Amino acid sequence: MSESTDIEARLNSLLKNNFVESFRDGINKYLSDRITIACLVFLAILVFISVFDQFLMPYEHTTVHRTPDGEIARLESPSMAHPLGTTTSGEDVFSRLLFGASSTLLTGLVGGLIIVGIGLTVGMVSGYYGGRVDSLLMRITDFAYGIPIIPTAIVLVAYFGMGFWSSVLIIGLLLWRGNARVFRSQVLQIKEREHIKAAKMLGASDRYVITRHILPNMMGMVVLFLALGTGITILISAGLAFLGFMDPYVPSWGVMLRNAYSSGSMTEAWWWSIPPGAMISFTVLAIFLLGRSYERVNEEQVNQVS
Amino acid sequence: MSKIKYYIRRLFVTVLLIFGVVSFLFIAFRLMPGDYATTLAGGGASSSELEEIRESWGLNEPLYMQYYHYMANMVTGDPGTSHVSNEPVLSYVRAPLMNSLILVIPAILVAFTIGSIYGALLGTKSGTAFERYGILPPTLAGTTPNFFIGILLLLIFSSALGWFPVGGMAGYETYAEVESHYEIYLTTDFWSHYVLPFTTIVLTFLYYPALIMRGSVIDVKGQEYTYFQRIAGLPSKTRFKHLMKHSSLPVITLLPAQTATAISGLVLIETVFNWPGIGTLLFDSVLSRDTPVIQFLFIIVAIWIIFGNLIVDIFYTVIDPRITIED
Repeated sequence: MSESTDIEARLNSLLKNNFVESFRDGINKYLSDRITIACLVFLAILVFISVFDQFLMPYEHTTVHRTPDGEIARLESPSMAHPLGTTTSGEDVFSRLLFGASSTLLTGLVGGLIIVGIGLTVGMVSGYYGGRVDSLLMRITDFAYGIPIIPTAIVLVAYFGMGFWSSVLIIGLLLWRGNARVFRSQVLQIKEREHIKAAKMLGASDRYVITRHILPNMMGMVVLFLALGTGITILISAGLAFLGFMDPYVPSWGVMLRNAYSSGSMTEAWWWSIPPGAMISFTVLAIFLLGRSYERVNEEQVNQVS
Repeated sequence: MSKIKYYIRRLFVTVLLIFGVVSFLFIAFRLMPGDYATTLAGGGASSSELEEIRESWGLNEPLYMQYYHYMANMVTGDPGTSHVSNEPVLSYVRAPLMNSLILVIPAILVAFTIGSIYGALLGTKSGTAFERYGILPPTLAGTTPNFFIGILLLLIFSSALGWFPVGGMAGYETYAEVESHYEIYLTTDFWSHYVLPFTTIVLTFLYYPALIMRGSVIDVKGQEYTYFQRIAGLPSKTRFKHLMKHSSLPVITLLPAQTATAISGLVLIETVFNWPGIGTLLFDSVLSRDTPVIQFLFIIVAIWIIFGNLIVDIFYTVIDPRITIED
């Protein structure tokens, strides 16, 4: 009896240690990379800003500031009161920059989720069931590849009217094509593995096989494409905003850029036009690099297993 | 399957795809909300005027007849008349199309050349700090919105330094001097307007070729034959040439898709630089609901993408005989 508990205890400790070790190992692998740490810190700050923007903003983003003699403080250069100066209508640029974080991030995340959601569904169904469904879905994907994104989005927004969510939805509905193909080829590979064949032979339903065996094996890809999709959505919605096809009342960074550009005083007021653009590019950069490093660590683990 | 059979089949699929896209565009624009005749007439048209427009545009006919006319016109190379300028769409679109192509094609090719050489350098130096951090600059350029790169270049090189003009394709004087539109391309004024938008596109598209080439070079370097070439004593220059040839395939596959992205992104770059190309034309046409022009621009882009993929597929079978042709 004592022997069996002994073995049990050893097994437990082994399992536990292994788990803790592999977990620590994984974390260490991420943290061994300075670029990854920098990206994580940057994104964490951004999320913090988007959640607590109400407390961090020195002023309301729509407050019109005035000079002591009552004039609207137009295009004031950076000062102690306004760290990034003011806009042509006297609003505080720094407050608007903080306020724009949440809508920009939200746009990206929702777009990324739509892209991965549709791409994963199409790729999964196509790769798993094969045959006619596969060729039909893949032809649709081919067709979707022929759609130029920004022009199509412009036309759709122009004809159907614009709103914050409809623009994001349009981007998501146009961009799933790329990852549908990748997910499909992943499923095709995973499907051929022994344990999945065994599960099928034992009578596991398609749903069981997909949710318990295939999906978990694809999480690495899913995370990577969620990151890429989020980044691309942010870029494209910034472009649409710049052309005036995003809701101007949701002051994302793209809308800020448009306001600065269309005010005509962009060259004079660099403090207004450069910060939102730089924020967009650093945010997307951080997201992309994080996706890449996740992919790299995942690949290493896969290589170790196989 | 023999190669000839594959080519014929591929060509057939291409024609079918184009047919599909053209039909789809017809349906898509008819499904758009708003009465077509009202859009054509602009605001404040009386009902008799509307009726007249319906008559002259054939809008009273059943939809399948309209579709038939539309397809017949497309096949005979007549995409209709612009509502805004009352000019035939073909001649209306020609000059902007040329302006865009002369900008985007050289830019993409230069971006791919520089990007792949840079990526190959990164790949051959794998494991060094240069490889780890060297990919950051092209990545940053790729994750910056292209119009923002344009704005930055304008701010630095036009406003601050005054080296290049702010926008447009040529000054008024140049326009007055030349006799035909295409002579503009020969003036130095045109080229000084050309530099900034061109640089913007090149910077935007460095990222993918560099990234893919880096990975591809690392892959190829790991293959045995490179090792044998080295112990056989091949000079490093020859080995680098072999390496480039074998690892450039994935980059070439990327080309049509990236060109399509570039054309799609032209709207933004042309807006920033006020470049009179198809991007600004599309933008204006969308604002004025000039449907025949919009339709035709979409058809051009779709055909471009479809043919690009066709050429890459054929190129693949020529350059790499190992590639098996699946059905």
